[in-house]
Amino acid sequence: MRALIVRNLKVYFRDKASVFFSLLAVIIIFSLYLLFLGDAWASGLPNVAGVKPMMDSWIMAGLLAITSMTTVMGAFGTMVDDKVHKISKDFSASPAGRGKIVAGYEAASFLVGSLMSLVAFALAELYIVARGGAALALGPAAEVVGLILLSALCNTALVSFLISFFKSQNAFGTASSILGTLVGFLTGIYLPIGMLPAAVQTVIKLFPVSHAAVLIRQVMMAGPMEKVFAGAPAATAQAFEEEMGVVFRFGGQALPAYVSLLILMGTAVVFYGLATLRFSRKAR
Amino acid sequence: MDKVIEVSGLKKAYGSVQAVNGLDFYTERGKLFAFLGPNGAGKSTTIDILCTLLRPDAGEVLLDGHRLGKADDAIRASIGVVFQDHVLDPLLTVEENIRVRGGLYPTLRGKLADAVKRAALAADVTDFLRRPYGKLSGGQKRRADIARALVHTPRVLFLDEPTTGLDPQTRRSVWESIRTLQRETGLTVFLTTHYMEEAAEADYVVVIDNGMIAARGTPTALKEEYASDQLRLTPSDPAGLMAALVEMGVATVRMTDVVAVKLGSTLEALPVLDRVRGFVSGFEVLNGTMDDAFIGITGREIRQ
Repeated sequence: MRALIVRNLKVYFRDKASVFFSLLAVIIIFSLYLLFLGDAWASGLPNVAGVKPMMDSWIMAGLLAITSMTTVMGAFGTMVDDKVHKISKDFSASPAGRGKIVAGYEAASFLVGSLMSLVAFALAELYIVARGGAALALGPAAEVVGLILLSALCNTALVSFLISFFKSQNAFGTASSILGTLVGFLTGIYLPIGMLPAAVQTVIKLFPVSHAAVLIRQVMMAGPMEKVFAGAPAATAQAFEEEMGVVFRFGGQALPAYVSLLILMGTAVVFYGLATLRFSRKAR
Repeated sequence: MDKVIEVSGLKKAYGSVQAVNGLDFYTERGKLFAFLGPNGAGKSTTIDILCTLLRPDAGEVLLDGHRLGKADDAIRASIGVVFQDHVLDPLLTVEENIRVRGGLYPTLRGKLADAVKRAALAADVTDFLRRPYGKLSGGQKRRADIARALVHTPRVLFLDEPTTGLDPQTRRSVWESIRTLQRETGLTVFLTTHYMEEAAEADYVVVIDNGMIAARGTPTALKEEYASDQLRLTPSDPAGLMAALVEMGVATVRMTDVVAVKLGSTLEALPVLDRVRGFVSGFEVLNGTMDDAFIGITGREIRQ
């Protein structure tokens, strides 16, 4: 299986265009933020010192959540390509075994998702510091790394299940660009969750990737928010958290972090199971 | 006789299309076995079944002693396959490709580097080992495909139309490599082709049409049975020539500027020539070819 993982990683990283396209959604959101979204949001907040680093942390947390999703999807593209170009026939005619072949794609996609998100995290911290914010302390940074790994795992399971339905590059390409666009909305990045109608909010709260975003926001924004909301009434901070999707509320109750964690883990387990079931049924 | 592949009653249908309809054949160890047939005859389907990629509807296959459907992994370990499509990664170098695919064979653990070197040497790809596969010419790609198929020293090498799409010169050289490989290593080679001249150089040929075996034998036997020798006469006095031939009672075919006479053997040309000497300006005697045999077997020319 190691041979397959190494091969899948090489195939993904050698194709510069596919790496770029798997980061396209991230690049677009980041550019929009730089151009005007950042100013638009900051202007809606009271003019307090520290608003900028806080909003920077907010957008970066969201970006990390979707980087994992889109890069995992990009890496999984290899699997569809292989089927289309009949490269999969060569694997199937070797003694590697169907299970290991699928696991090879999954492991490689997980590694790509983790690696790209970790790089993105490093860049995000650089960006925040360069704009006058404070870098995360070691403890929270380690938490973010943990969350990145967990969300890569969850996304790998999700995309693995999703990809079992695709047979052509076109269909998969279209699906990944649609998802790449939607994911910005589904995680409440283009528009903060508070600005959306209730029905859409529910969809967002049910989408596993947004729980990764919520958890990463909680860790990355804790410091900056403390500064901004120092001395402000607790209700103000709470309203802000809800508006920006730092905390999800289900029926008036704030969702504790461990529930979001459980949702991520549960999604990973359930969809990994479903994907495995589909792939083993499809054999032959 | 040592049979390395034994197939009996093999059937496979796609919906209502019977792609393979009851094949029985065997392949001798160390021989070059050619599966000849027009496109859509069922060649690729048969190869896919033998390579464990497709499950047959009916029939038995024994490959190097392993039963298909029972010991598929053992079969996979003992075969090498060169697919019709190019199945290596275009962005990886030839060496990386062979190494990656070699990594799929548990038996190569720990000796992969040697195996890659040996396969590269055997398929003659050492000159472009470090170049990306996607940048190679058609012939080089084919050689790389063969090197990959050889990396785990298989007992049987399957090649599905290995020379299709190559220019004549490259086709020749790839063919020579396959032949040399088979002669020198004693490897059993099972290939499909729709080129007559290739089938003519195999040790044994099975002609398949519409999913069934239409004929089988050594190329010489097939030619003898299905292709007839010909005498071609260039008339100087067409009317006189025809009259003489009709008088002799031989079967003739008129072509644009020559008259062809079917012969049982080339020697039969002599009495005919004696008789028509005055009416012709020239002649040639032709041996039957695989093309003729193929037309004789299937009743039509091969579809390319």
